[in-house]
Amino acid sequence: MLLAELTYRCPLHCPYCSNPVAYPGGGELSTEEWRRVAGEASRLGVLQAGFSGGEPLLRVDLPELVAAFRAAGIYTNLITSAVGLTRKRAEELLAAGLDNIQISFQSDEEALANGIAGTAAHQTKLNAARMVRELGFPLTVNVVLHRGNINRIAQIISLAENLEAERLELANTQYYGWAFQNRAALLPTRGQIAQATQVVGEQSRRLLGKMKILFVTPDYYSDRPKPCMNGWGTRFLTVNPVGDVLPCPTASSIKDLRFDNVRERPLACIWNDSESFNRFRGTAWMPLPCAECPQREIDFGGCRCQAALITGDPMVTDPACSLSPYRDKLTAFVESIQSAGEAGPSFDADTSGISFRQNPAA
Amino acid sequence: MNAQSRPTLARGVRLWIDPINGGPVLLFPEGILPLDDTTHDIVSRCSGQATVEAIVVSLAEEYEADCATLLNDVCECLSQLREEMLITLSP
Repeated sequence: MLLAELTYRCPLHCPYCSNPVAYPGGGELSTEEWRRVAGEASRLGVLQAGFSGGEPLLRVDLPELVAAFRAAGIYTNLITSAVGLTRKRAEELLAAGLDNIQISFQSDEEALANGIAGTAAHQTKLNAARMVRELGFPLTVNVVLHRGNINRIAQIISLAENLEAERLELANTQYYGWAFQNRAALLPTRGQIAQATQVVGEQSRRLLGKMKILFVTPDYYSDRPKPCMNGWGTRFLTVNPVGDVLPCPTASSIKDLRFDNVRERPLACIWNDSESFNRFRGTAWMPLPCAECPQREIDFGGCRCQAALITGDPMVTDPACSLSPYRDKLTAFVESIQSAGEAGPSFDADTSGISFRQNPAA
Repeated sequence: MNAQSRPTLARGVRLWIDPINGGPVLLFPEGILPLDDTTHDIVSRCSGQATVEAIVVSLAEEYEADCATLLNDVCECLSQLREEMLITLSP
């Protein structure tokens, strides 16, 4: 599974964006370089590519890139804000063989959605979603959840149902990058998560066979860490806009990791031999308590980026784990949210104190 | 779902052979599901034309097995795939 981040440029400014807060230097990969990556990925065994960003539609050569990956036998999924998704572009992408379109929504309700995105995009997204259905595209709706929109989860499910999406991803914010900066405003309360879980359970049963709902809860409320990337360097790789190859999309938050670049080495060499892919592969790198834990091949010690962000050391057990010596750091933060109550930022009115995602300097 | 339902691959789902190991897989948004031989035999018959009953009869011939036993297995397999929106039922 390869995530192709085509550009960091984006018309939206979501305060939970997973892009790095400090963008790496270097120019975006050219059409020809991405074509070469498609061939190398296919020979490496990649079966699926997601085109992401930033906003991948800002690459005028997107249909050519989709066609290149399809020609290499790779399933293609466009992960987009839908800003810029005109009928003409959608038709070009259909002709190029694009397999699925995933459109992000920030909420079901226009003023709130536009407030979260930091721009008036909601109506454009609705129009685009209806248009791609008319063209026959399969549709995934993706909504990142946080304290400012999680109370609208039932209405959000209705929105996706009305758009006739095959899939709805209700992904709670993952606290890296921009989201980590804003986590005090974004993390839902325990009560909100419980309520949302109940609604998703009821609606999933009602919508069986019509729409699949994927619900990701925040690991801050879990006792066990998430099996990040299903194991470092086992199934996933990210190629970022400037050609760096990362074992996970947020791996640049680990300060001392250096990434090899597709401009300098073939993808298979990077996958097999690079220091960044080998650093946390397997279980030999693990410290205690992971090294002796029966769960070590289930959750792989959790998330390296989270360990680095919370403790400063990417080598230690993910602090989301109750066995981590650093768990109290997360617990103290989680409890401070409970006392703050359910009031999230009122994105449709006052957003002082929120850092909205900025674009890289031109 | 019943014996007269007509299962078909859901929109956005592709039945594919992994060129590295030759194994059949379902490709779908953000997912890859390797298929065992039986599931592959079932999925490859989900044309949207064939009923569950016809799929069972066809499999029974190939496996030289009893239709009644197979019907349960096929329905269970299809139900699981339907829950994941990998197959849908044609009207």
